[in-house]
Amino acid sequence: MSMRAPSLKSLLKLLSSGIVICAAAMYCAAADAALQVTLNTTKATPRQVEPLTERAVLRDYRSAWTNLTQALASNSLDPLNGLFEATADQWLTDAVKDQQSSGLSRRYLNQNHQVDAVFYSPEGDVIELHDTAEYDLEILDGSNTIHNEHAIVHYVVLMVPGAERWVVRHLQAVPQF
Amino acid sequence: MLSLVVSALCLTVALCAQDITLRAPWDAVAGKPAKIATTGSGSATFYLLGPSTAVKRDVQLGQDITLAPDEVQSAGRYVAIVCAGSCANADFFVAPDKPVSLVFLVHPSRAPVAKTGLISGVAMPFDEYHNLVLTPAAVDFQLSAKSGTPVSHTVETHDGAAWFRISSGKSAGPLQITASMNDVVARRVVQQVASDPCNLRIKGERTAQGIEVETDPVRDCDGNPVPDGTIITFTAKGGDETSTVDAPVKKDVARARMSAKGPVVISAASGVVMGNELRLGGQ
Repeated sequence: MSMRAPSLKSLLKLLSSGIVICAAAMYCAAADAALQVTLNTTKATPRQVEPLTERAVLRDYRSAWTNLTQALASNSLDPLNGLFEATADQWLTDAVKDQQSSGLSRRYLNQNHQVDAVFYSPEGDVIELHDTAEYDLEILDGSNTIHNEHAIVHYVVLMVPGAERWVVRHLQAVPQF
Repeated sequence: MLSLVVSALCLTVALCAQDITLRAPWDAVAGKPAKIATTGSGSATFYLLGPSTAVKRDVQLGQDITLAPDEVQSAGRYVAIVCAGSCANADFFVAPDKPVSLVFLVHPSRAPVAKTGLISGVAMPFDEYHNLVLTPAAVDFQLSAKSGTPVSHTVETHDGAAWFRISSGKSAGPLQITASMNDVVARRVVQQVASDPCNLRIKGERTAQGIEVETDPVRDCDGNPVPDGTIITFTAKGGDETSTVDAPVKKDVARARMSAKGPVVISAASGVVMGNELRLGGQ
């Protein structure tokens, strides 16, 4: 039995994929650091949002955007990490798969989310958020930037409590609240 | 002469930017075809990025770009881009279609009778493509128990949600709750069960095996029989000795056998409710 040494071509391939992963990781770390989220729960009705719940929703919504950003930038489903379910998960999965097949990617940079909780159900099993998100959106075809804009987008968000975390069930952009 | 040179260069490298404009639809609806008007001429690459889509295809400038229903199923913001040398873009929103389903959350599934504000429900309308319908619309909540007249309560959705809170009824049994919006209906059932026992009464006698003690039919304060399995605690005190037996209600009655030879005072309790005391003489 003989073992073949790796060819120069496969070594270069390995090296280039490593560079891509490193670059994606660096981009994602930078994106995460620049992601600002503030949550105001004073308008939530009919149930008042308890301080512990407020902290959990803020933490998990921020993580959700971090994961969404990574998934759409790297065209990988791995970063979604269970923080999305139902429609939100399906839409993101479809978007990532479409991007993979068309060679596109999108980057959300310098994100700032001002989030208001507007509805918290009587039994605490669903919370509706209004997120006024401000970010720089960059769309790439391969490595070519084809679109760059500073956008302010309004999102209606439904989150539900999971076993350990709040998860995003619905994320729908609207022209205005 | 200069323009001729420029034109020649443009034809050669095909990189010269032309004045492209896009006119995005202003009334796009989820799952319905839409069109984007373009100006210019020649071929170009069209991109469409939405909440669940990322499309890339070749198009002819100067013609409308048709968006297929499955390309705009998700409500939200879309960015359309056309590139031919340089790129032009337009963004637009796709609105949800009409509601075809209601997500209807009702709590709890079992509710003790006569509890204030115990039962609540939330209804959220969604279209065929699972988009949350945010346009205000009336949701009719109907509540009907086995006994009593149905109660109807109309609530307009606000930010895509309508909710109610009610007290449980006085009679045990199923409470049917429906939420309807036009011809869209969702149904739930809350099982109303007896509340805590009320007015526990016990009776008993000595037998050869000991003291046989049992309750009268155990009911809540509204007269509903408590569920089988409700625990009744019997306590017998005689002299310095106290013995306790837990017995489950079975077919409305809880029974227990206790052993005590001297005079005893027997009592029964369930939760915080105490029953009468029963005094039995010695053997």
